[in-house]
Amino acid sequence: MTSTSTSPGRLIAIDGVSGPALQAAAREWRMGGHRVASISTWDASGIFGDLGDRDEEGAPSARVLLLLYATDLAFRLRWDIRPALAEGRAVIAAPYVDTAIAFGRAAGLRASWLTHLFGFAPAAAESCRIQPPAHAAGHVGFVEFGCDRVAYGRAGLDRQRLLERATAFLKKRHDAHRRAR
Amino acid sequence: MSNVRQRARARFGDPGRRRGLLVAFEGPDGSGKTTQRKLFKKWLETEGYDVVTTKWNSSTLIKPIIKARKSARSLGPEEFSLLHAADFRHRVERVMLPALWEGKLVIADRFLFTGLARDVARGLDLDWVLRLYQPLLWPDIVFYFAVTADTSRQRVTTTRTPGFYEAGQDVTEKIDPVESYKQFIQRIIREYESLAIIFNFMTVDAEQSIGDQHLEIRRIFRESERRAWSEWNLDAVADWLVSIGAHR
Repeated sequence: MTSTSTSPGRLIAIDGVSGPALQAAAREWRMGGHRVASISTWDASGIFGDLGDRDEEGAPSARVLLLLYATDLAFRLRWDIRPALAEGRAVIAAPYVDTAIAFGRAAGLRASWLTHLFGFAPAAAESCRIQPPAHAAGHVGFVEFGCDRVAYGRAGLDRQRLLERATAFLKKRHDAHRRAR
Repeated sequence: MSNVRQRARARFGDPGRRRGLLVAFEGPDGSGKTTQRKLFKKWLETEGYDVVTTKWNSSTLIKPIIKARKSARSLGPEEFSLLHAADFRHRVERVMLPALWEGKLVIADRFLFTGLARDVARGLDLDWVLRLYQPLLWPDIVFYFAVTADTSRQRVTTTRTPGFYEAGQDVTEKIDPVESYKQFIQRIIREYESLAIIFNFMTVDAEQSIGDQHLEIRRIFRESERRAWSEWNLDAVADWLVSIGAHR
């Protein structure tokens, strides 16, 4: 199921734990000379919006949230990312795979399962990591959404601790990408 | 993690206590497994078992999301597969494992093998789909209700028109749902038959009378209910215990 980008377009992955910072970075990237790029954002499929606060059976676990993130990403690949690449355009995915993997690792899930889960997603031609701002307001991204749900759930995890761990995992992963290039 | 693994072993591996049992009913549409599941449940209750039933695609959290997208016919094969895996995982964590932990008998009307058979019939890779369901929770018994593709088609289409995804119209691209079902169910049955061999299903000839099938199920259950707990389930139980904070 491992997939690589073979289309003539260019996929740029922007990852980070802060939803507002990701949105701002994607807009900035487009303004800075990548005018043809389209932006693919989290929850384009509306799954997480539909999930809402429906917690009759309890909050979903991190693993369930990651399966839903992968569903949303499959939707984004089908409707946003692959069509843009096929037209030879640049497309920004903000967030992409690394954000989800960092959240999963922070919640204690195995790296091998996470890597396998996202095996259907093509590798990005370029990737960058956005540092979380000290106080970001506005759009809630996947990691904030996930940390809220998991912290609310029976695991009783500390939200701030999860965010810090996700940030650290993302940095580690990004450094590994850089070394590999 | 070793602490929760010890707790899981102590709970399920103790031969001196009546442990929770997981029984899965699998088979193509129209194989009569729901009828058999109901008869089996009633019989178990008369035998003194505390029974919990869970059905495919039934979590209150994710079912509405799947239903809406099926109605809109907006799901690609990967999305279809992942959403069903999410629904299954949520039920494993919220329904199945808590009931098993309490020593109850869980009947699953369709299990992860349904996802495997349907997703592979849609062209997805078996290994990729199987690993979505990790950590794997293995049933104590899997009853597989075997029917031919013709029987399945006849039983399904005499009373209703199969739905878009049920008929596999998303992959066969046939306009007529019955024609599409006829083709798609053959693929599903082929996958089920492979899974039945790989995972050692208890195959029930679902072309027999309802009564004969029920008696066979009772017999197989009686022969299998005392089997030892499978250590294969240790990861799934430990993962669940961690997810509910039981490791603290």
